[in-house]
Amino acid sequence: MALSSGIGPVAARSAREESSSRLRRLARGAATRSSRVGLFVYALTLGGLLGLASADYATSGGYPFGGTSIGSWTAWPRAGSLDSDPYARAVNARRGDIPLAVGEGMLLTAASDDEGRTLDARCSYRLAGVTPPARAWTITVTGRGALPPGQEPVRTGFTSTEILRETDGRFAILLSPEVQPGNWLPMPRPSGPVRLALRLYDTPVAASVGSLDRDSLPAIERTGCGS
Amino acid sequence: MSRSAFWLATACGLVIAGIVHIATVLAIPRFSEGDAFTRARASETLDHPLRIHGLAGGPPAAGGEWLPNPDPSVSVGVCSYDLDDGPMRVSAQAGSLMLSVSMHSRRGAFYAVTDQAAVRGGLDLVVMTRAQYDEALANDVAGEVTRDVRIIAPSRRGFATVRVIAALPSERAVADAAVQAVSCTIDSPAEPTDEEPGRGKG
Repeated sequence: MALSSGIGPVAARSAREESSSRLRRLARGAATRSSRVGLFVYALTLGGLLGLASADYATSGGYPFGGTSIGSWTAWPRAGSLDSDPYARAVNARRGDIPLAVGEGMLLTAASDDEGRTLDARCSYRLAGVTPPARAWTITVTGRGALPPGQEPVRTGFTSTEILRETDGRFAILLSPEVQPGNWLPMPRPSGPVRLALRLYDTPVAASVGSLDRDSLPAIERTGCGS
Repeated sequence: MSRSAFWLATACGLVIAGIVHIATVLAIPRFSEGDAFTRARASETLDHPLRIHGLAGGPPAAGGEWLPNPDPSVSVGVCSYDLDDGPMRVSAQAGSLMLSVSMHSRRGAFYAVTDQAAVRGGLDLVVMTRAQYDEALANDVAGEVTRDVRIIAPSRRGFATVRVIAALPSERAVADAAVQAVSCTIDSPAEPTDEEPGRGKG
């Protein structure tokens, strides 16, 4: 400042102005740079979080796609084979499941009745009809989440040998929270959604799911709903 | 900050999200520690299947009972294999109950057979690599009929699953016993070498 005071007040003022404008420029540059860094961080965070969350959502629970829906049932013939899709593979890996191979059998699931309403543990259903050709089959009902110990239902499924049939070979399973005559399958939970699983063992239809239609699978009919 | 820069950043974020999503889904089976492939390795030292879903009750086997939604009337056992030790032989006797054996690699099942394919009441499956298969073919005695079903595995390591269906509750103990009765052994080479003395069975 000794120099500037020697030159004069005018030069000192212009120097001050120049330094302040340089400061302003510097600040503006820093702001643009920081906003660019901010946008970069924003894009990375958004991408990382969205990607991980969507991957977690798609692979937790059931298979997101790859099934063949037949009426209210969905067949999963390829869930465990070498050419299964990456999502099914990830779902199996997370659950530790060993799906049925094509030569072994096939899994069919149902989460809604024939009118499209979600299967509810407080309602009663009638499963009637025939099953596709198979050496043996089992039909099971599961609820969501683990049950507290000591409250396991008396029965969670039927096998094709156990079931009581009509004289023409047809059968009817009554899925209900109340005790029923005949083939009574108790509801596994007091409330909430339930799922049905039909497993066909040693069946020719695993290789040709397209040959199945609504009439070759048991119909799921809601017969009543308790409050 | 201009608005267009923000939208550009959001678009980049969505593209990154897609890449992260695909990479994560593809990476889950490879790095999973709770999948059947990893858990089945507890059975590697056994010469019979590790029961992972028993029907008759009783204490579960160590490292077993992990199936998320098992069929309540099917007894399941697994045998893990590593073909570096030699071909794996799965021998089952067809009994009164329906039995099925499937072969899995880490990517999925590559072979399955039921007891209807049994020859004279027995089912002999041998899982081998391509090189072991060629060796077995070369060692075959001309004119001698083998009843082994030879399967070429797509990868070195994997596991076999044995399922036995108990059609009635009274057959549950029999089904568990039928799973235990299957043997999973490592085939010794046709001409025993010094590296593997007294290993497996012929």
